[in-house]
Amino acid sequence: MTIYLIDDDSLGNYLTEALLRLENFASQIRTYESAEDALEELLQAPVPPRVIFLDLNMPVMSGWDFLEALAPYRPRLLGQCHIYILTSSLALSDMEKARTYDLVSGLIHKPIDREEIRAIQAELTTEDHS
Amino acid sequence: MVESDFTPLEPQSGPQPEALVYLNGRGEFVHGNEVFAALTGHLPTALPGQSLLDLVDPAEAEAMLPVLRRGLSGETLTCHVRLRTAAGQHVRFALTMFPLHPTADAGTGVILRPAGASAAAAVLEREKQLSIIFETIADVIFVLKVEEPGQYRFQFVNHAFTRITGLSPELVVGRLVTEVIPEPSLSLVLEHYQQVAQTGQPVRWVETSDYPSGRVVGEVSVKPVFDARGQCSQLVGVVHDLTEQQQAEHALRDSNERFRYALKATTDALYDWDVAADTLFWGEGFEELFGYHIAQNPTPFRQWSAHVHPEDAPRTVDDLRHTAFYTTRTRWQQEYRFQRADGSWATVFDRGYLLRDAAGRATRMIGAMQDISERKEAERRQQQLAQELFQHNADLQQFTYVVSHNLRAPLANATGFAGLLSRLQPGSAEFGQAIEHLHTSLRRVDEVLRDLNTILSVRGQALLAEPEPVVLADVLGEVTDLLVEDLANCGGEIRNELPAGLRVLGRRAYFHSIFYNLLANAIKYRAPQRTLRVTISAEPPAEGVVTLHVVDNGAGFDAGRAGTDAFQLYQRFNQAVPGRGIGLFLVKAHTESMGGRVTVVSQVGQGTTFTLQFRLPAA
Repeated sequence: MTIYLIDDDSLGNYLTEALLRLENFASQIRTYESAEDALEELLQAPVPPRVIFLDLNMPVMSGWDFLEALAPYRPRLLGQCHIYILTSSLALSDMEKARTYDLVSGLIHKPIDREEIRAIQAELTTEDHS
Repeated sequence: MVESDFTPLEPQSGPQPEALVYLNGRGEFVHGNEVFAALTGHLPTALPGQSLLDLVDPAEAEAMLPVLRRGLSGETLTCHVRLRTAAGQHVRFALTMFPLHPTADAGTGVILRPAGASAAAAVLEREKQLSIIFETIADVIFVLKVEEPGQYRFQFVNHAFTRITGLSPELVVGRLVTEVIPEPSLSLVLEHYQQVAQTGQPVRWVETSDYPSGRVVGEVSVKPVFDARGQCSQLVGVVHDLTEQQQAEHALRDSNERFRYALKATTDALYDWDVAADTLFWGEGFEELFGYHIAQNPTPFRQWSAHVHPEDAPRTVDDLRHTAFYTTRTRWQQEYRFQRADGSWATVFDRGYLLRDAAGRATRMIGAMQDISERKEAERRQQQLAQELFQHNADLQQFTYVVSHNLRAPLANATGFAGLLSRLQPGSAEFGQAIEHLHTSLRRVDEVLRDLNTILSVRGQALLAEPEPVVLADVLGEVTDLLVEDLANCGGEIRNELPAGLRVLGRRAYFHSIFYNLLANAIKYRAPQRTLRVTISAEPPAEGVVTLHVVDNGAGFDAGRAGTDAFQLYQRFNQAVPGRGIGLFLVKAHTESMGGRVTVVSQVGQGTTFTLQFRLPAA
């Protein structure tokens, strides 16, 4: 299973990756400090990543910009690629906005913890068996 | 012989002097005229104290006395009777008696004619008319006997005397002036009477006296009457009552005075538009309010209309003329801009009242122009203040959001690394790495808090210091010196094209920060493929504002990106070069705290232009 971590904060990416590895979340974790780079890779990859952890507040291309850029590929991604917004923002408006994207499976406040990782794992397993 | 009935008047050739005497209530002579003296030989001065009855021929006394008594008691009658002349003869006269006052107490008037005079009845009628005139005339008439210098006795007063003074004839007639007229009027009138008696010339004056009926103001004229020896024996006075007239004059004067003070008290420019002449008469306020010197008042209409702001003229000048000429309205008001003598514009509230003739045509308009510039300016400032407060509030909300986010990001990392540590093997490479990251995250927290402090101090200080004129070229020079090493490293060039003498109102430290942040950004985000060049220039000042341009040929950024504001705190456009996103926030905060404005235009790969506007010091 391949997953993407997109966060301009390298420390954030390092931390999330370390926590995911401790839970054996994925065989391949790819980290990006630029949403543009991640988008480029995603569009070239023959199979989209199973999960994307997406930061919102990033220079040049924000998390929201990234979601807008994915809109044309929604049919191909829906059900294949789960996007979790991973943000330090506590703003309710961000949660409201996240709900309007059906590619977004959930919003997690940083730092991600063990329970949250296991809950995602459980969801993915359920999906695999259905 | 008694003819008490009315006899029609016979045609007369004209007025003839008649013998006339006045008798008091007891029938005694108080006055006789010269004709009487000529007719009977009795000098008027010799008569007083004697009774008319004393002159009647004793042969007729028994028959005539009752008749004469009737005349003395107030009846108007004519009779024939023989009277003793001064020569001692008894001559028959026709006597017409009439009361001087309806009550008869004031005495009786008697006209004498030689018996057989054909016009006895006509005389009666004329005397009746005279009596009516005497008694109905509004002016006071009184007769004084000059007894000796300084002593004057009332001989006769008419009805008007009683009405105006409130003194009945019995209280006056026969008494000395000194007993009737109170001080201080007494001294005044005695002086005047003395003058008439001595000079023989009429005297006229205005006097104010307090009588039982109230204060009376009268124009008094006193004329002398001379006896046969040319002595002034009597004074005839006429008093024209001026009380009401004078009260009206006083009231008018008070009212005028109040109006004049009201005019002084108001700062408004009052005007009076004579519609037919198309001229304006101005009150003092016009020159004072607007600085014009009016050489000739009234002025032509254009003194006003030519100075109404051209944009306001249609709804002001045209509307006034329309209202005056094509409507029947009497009120007009408008708010408009009016040019002062020095060329500046005052905001004016003008309100007028149109006077119209019976046909409804406007004849005049009285109105006032009120200078409401200050009030308008205060309103504008208040609006601006409200707008600024609204903006500040929105800024603060944004600020809170951004700070909380940027504070929480490193804190979340720190929490995460702390949690991670508990699950790692102490001494392992991962453990060491996590500790290091924990430190970094905490340093970030500290950084954000320091930023916060910087920002809050900018906002706080802006309220404290008075702005001072700052020489911009000097400040820019200092900043360039600070950056000389960075410039040398990248081979860049800063062109200071600011005029050496250009001063701007503000704070030196803020300009320092503005230039430093803009130039540091220009160096940091330069285009690697070309030599950096930054030019700082100023446009010629206009309307108290100077416009600066900071232009670079750097990497540029997508300033038009939706939902972004280059000046927002922690807003970053560049991933490749590290930055905190606080520089432009500070540029904006400093600029606005000095009442300036900053905008940016940038194109990726072309460069960036910042435009700043500041107020100039007053000349």
